[in-house]
Amino acid sequence: MTFLPGRIAIMLGGRRWRSLAPLAVLVVLCVLITIANPNFIELRNLVRLANSAAVPLTLAMGLTFIIVMGSIDLSVEGTLSVAAMVVVLLAANDSNGNDYGWWAVLAAIAAGTVMGLISGLVQTMLRIPSFMATLGMWFIGLGLSVYMLGGSAIRLNDASIRNLALHRFLGLPLAVWVALGAFALAAVIQYHTRLGRHILAIGGDEDVTKLSGVNVVRVRIAAFALAGFFFGIAGVLAAAQLGQSHAVIGDGRLFAAVTAVVVGGTALTGGEGGVVNTLIGVLIVTVLANGMILLGISPYIQQTVQGLMIIAAVALSLDRVRLKIVK
Amino acid sequence: MKDSNGLVFSGRLSRRTLMLGAAAGAATLAMPNVLRAADKPTLVTSIRSLSNPYHAVWKTGAEAYAKWAGLEHVTLVSEGNSEKGIADIKAMLAKTNGNMVLNSDPNDTPDARPIVEACAKAGAYVVTQWNKPADLHPKDFNPNYVSHIEFDGIASGKTIAEILFKAIGGKGGIVALGGLISTTAAIERKKGLDAALAANPDIKLLDFQVANWKSTEAFDLMGNLLTRFGDDIKGIWAANDDMGSGALEALRAENLAGKVPIVGVDGIKTAVDAVRTGEFACTITSDPFWQGGMGLAIGYNAKIGKFDPAKEPPEHREFYGKAVLISHDNVEEYYKTNVESKPEINWNDLWGRVTGAIRA
Repeated sequence: MTFLPGRIAIMLGGRRWRSLAPLAVLVVLCVLITIANPNFIELRNLVRLANSAAVPLTLAMGLTFIIVMGSIDLSVEGTLSVAAMVVVLLAANDSNGNDYGWWAVLAAIAAGTVMGLISGLVQTMLRIPSFMATLGMWFIGLGLSVYMLGGSAIRLNDASIRNLALHRFLGLPLAVWVALGAFALAAVIQYHTRLGRHILAIGGDEDVTKLSGVNVVRVRIAAFALAGFFFGIAGVLAAAQLGQSHAVIGDGRLFAAVTAVVVGGTALTGGEGGVVNTLIGVLIVTVLANGMILLGISPYIQQTVQGLMIIAAVALSLDRVRLKIVK
Repeated sequence: MKDSNGLVFSGRLSRRTLMLGAAAGAATLAMPNVLRAADKPTLVTSIRSLSNPYHAVWKTGAEAYAKWAGLEHVTLVSEGNSEKGIADIKAMLAKTNGNMVLNSDPNDTPDARPIVEACAKAGAYVVTQWNKPADLHPKDFNPNYVSHIEFDGIASGKTIAEILFKAIGGKGGIVALGGLISTTAAIERKKGLDAALAANPDIKLLDFQVANWKSTEAFDLMGNLLTRFGDDIKGIWAANDDMGSGALEALRAENLAGKVPIVGVDGIKTAVDAVRTGEFACTITSDPFWQGGMGLAIGYNAKIGKFDPAKEPPEHREFYGKAVLISHDNVEEYYKTNVESKPEINWNDLWGRVTGAIRA
């Protein structure tokens, strides 16, 4: 079993140069943007970049496990909004008298995990494809938040939770440290635990994995619960950053997370890629969004540029020659 | 359709469910007779949903007016479904035998025509707000189609821009956050901003970006704009309050909250609170409480013959309502009368907030 630094060394050693493509894209992007606008590499901007990457990174960590497994989790926005709703309603807020402090955070993460667990159970026990099972969970989560929040935005008044976004440690907001912690945890799970190996194995070939004696059902349920756990953390971070929660706090996060995972070089078919790829993918997407503003690209064509970049990044990083079928 | 299917299937499952369904149906049939017995017209409010604060306040305004006038009031919710919205109104027309006054925020622009035609046919009086096709006019349905009310997005965008310019001392750079590119409100409010900019050459628009009405997008966008322009940003213009509040949190993360004034549109509670703390320079609202109550009041007064719609001037038939500005000067009073308690409105002042006929 190779440890994380060793793994990066292998990537850098060029055993498979294609796995380096996302990193190359990231570096080229940074260099080009810096040439166009030197403000980009200012420390203040790098801190802002890290700050806007915090929520997407935490989300994408959870999603990576699911995509590596060859499944998909569409419940990202629903689970995130449930977690954000729970934390806001249980901590000090401007709608009810609750003030459970950090217990609210734990409850929110637990709620996210339970949502994931249910997705996993629905998928394995009822044998419903992950696409439909998690689509259902997305709407259930969203509906739950709309109902609990009464359609309005509720402010988060707990100062210590707000400090996740406002307080800084070594120059970086606490949210960034939390996201880095989530990355470290995900990396450990993927590379140093049996669960991580089994998830990758299922993505590679589920039948073979089953024949080798792995309890595929249990691994699948665990993977969805794990994803829900990360979505829960992301929900808390999102609520802390915005200082409020409303049902649509997750809007657009699903697409951003899937984009980051795929641009990082993780194959949608499963069995390839991982959390290190996703870290790079998230940075590419965040740097791109930041760069387009720095370069003053008109909002009317930003989406087009983003689409072009996604196709370019995936074209470079996927080994399409080996693909027998493209569908 | 859906309901009848449900009934059939449940009938298959058990006879008791079928009987229950039949009993409920019979009860519904009996209801119109009860309503018909009343001489006073029924007030009917038709809105999109109760899950957003805007329409929730609209409903409170409608109820306040109904209580004041001593009339029966019913709220119909379309849940964003045009067919349901129209069908519910037709059902109410049948139930009341046309003896009703409707104040409708049609779910979609084309919906206004079938709603107005059904009301005119049944002899009910109707007021529409926000959405109607350009070729549908109250004067073509005298006297039943009383009025159509909108709020001028250009004026709102311009007013808040002027207050922002004043707040930053009449010169310097600002950034603007626009709504979803294709929506009328986004286009109109931006036009208002452009008009204000043209009149104030010392103000420089550093950048116009689109955050699609959302606080989350505005939050990320604002961070990036701060990198690009840094301290050159003296003020922020947002096409709605939600984006403004996202920008405010991005400022707060950089210790800039309250130092760079923000303006928005809608008058949501977060924004009103921010005006009180001085983090927002102002927000502006169409006042859904007034819309909910006055729409019914105008229709009801036409119905009981207080005025003849056919004899009213064009600016009473299709008009822009006066938006309420909430700024440093009046925020405490607004908070007391609108947030902490229900506002007091003179329901007899039908035309007090008319600012002019709607542009063709």
